[in-house]
Amino acid sequence: MSEINIVERKEIPSGAVMLFGFPDVGLVGVIAASHLVEELGLTEVAYMDSKLLPPLIVLHEGLPHSAIRIFGNHNVMLAVSETPIAADIIYPVIDALIDWGKGKKVKLMISLSGIPVQDRQDVKELKAFAAASSPEMLKIVQDKGIEALTEGYMVGPQAIMLMRCAQMGLPATALLAQCFLNYPDPEAAAEVLKSLAKLTGIKVDISKLLEKGEEIRLKARDVMKRTQEEMSKMKKTQEYDIPVYVS
Amino acid sequence: MSIKKRRSIMDIFEDYFEDFGKEFERQRERLLETPSWNLKASTIEPLRNMIVTPTEVVVTVDMPLTKESSVQVKALDENTLEISARMRRKMTFKELGITHHKGEFRKLSCYSHVPVPVQMDKMKISFKKGIVEVHLPRKRGRQRAKT
Repeated sequence: MSEINIVERKEIPSGAVMLFGFPDVGLVGVIAASHLVEELGLTEVAYMDSKLLPPLIVLHEGLPHSAIRIFGNHNVMLAVSETPIAADIIYPVIDALIDWGKGKKVKLMISLSGIPVQDRQDVKELKAFAAASSPEMLKIVQDKGIEALTEGYMVGPQAIMLMRCAQMGLPATALLAQCFLNYPDPEAAAEVLKSLAKLTGIKVDISKLLEKGEEIRLKARDVMKRTQEEMSKMKKTQEYDIPVYVS
Repeated sequence: MSIKKRRSIMDIFEDYFEDFGKEFERQRERLLETPSWNLKASTIEPLRNMIVTPTEVVVTVDMPLTKESSVQVKALDENTLEISARMRRKMTFKELGITHHKGEFRKLSCYSHVPVPVQMDKMKISFKKGIVEVHLPRKRGRQRAKT
């Protein structure tokens, strides 16, 4: 038996776009995912069950749920974690999700995340970047007007997702909006959703997200704090480093 | 990115003790892990961050739902800051998505321990996009050899 099971609650359609929103810098992925669930009316279609996960459940309306769930509709599957994923289980968790998505013949995998920028409070217009699993995918992303993140380090779940998809020949991209490293960043989440719309046509109204921004920042403090601890363990600040180019 | 030029063995020791201080602070916070709110004081503890550079210490605090005019930064002693601000409106547990506690919050408040000697009387404070930024020049306690 596999160490990680994905338990399906509903019938899963083939050929959907699979999105990933995990706790990371600025909680960009989680905030964007939460907004997508609300705006698109996505429902829980599957959840992750594993003894590798921390002994934690999420209670919603008095009922237990896994911290890692997949929400969806007829054309979108969205994998979300409501707790940071510890560095030592990122590989098996991401592998399980990618294998599951591959089994469901998803046509594209997209990680929604952020890239920290210094003096973020002084940045007036945020930019979003993309990295892709193949040259063809990178061209598609660039043709949609999203700038490529050409050199640098990527650390965390989206890094492993992109690498695994590249190895398996699956089309995938990581969309990364400039954001705070250590503070929840709803504006960055809105920016990454704009890029998602450009790339896939999955459009949602981001005005509510921006209106509720300060409230979200207040509510997301505890998850951000736990995420900071995990980011520190996996040396997340390496994303600021200047790489040595080895051809 | 700041570039630190090592000039003497004292710098190396200072860096070492800074790192040690940061690690000590992290472990202290972990051991003293408490809720991020205080119902008696009606306060929520905001997220904060600190950067120590060769010339200054920069403390930032995320203060959403507050106004610049209500921000207060107090030096409690030579290495402790209290940073607080009244919220524009009260927030209840229910609004924060919690139904098994009752109560409301009116203020964000936190303490920040500065791990190196600084000149508290020369602090500069700014407030942008709900982020309070406090700049504290470092004290230079000893003369250094010039390179």
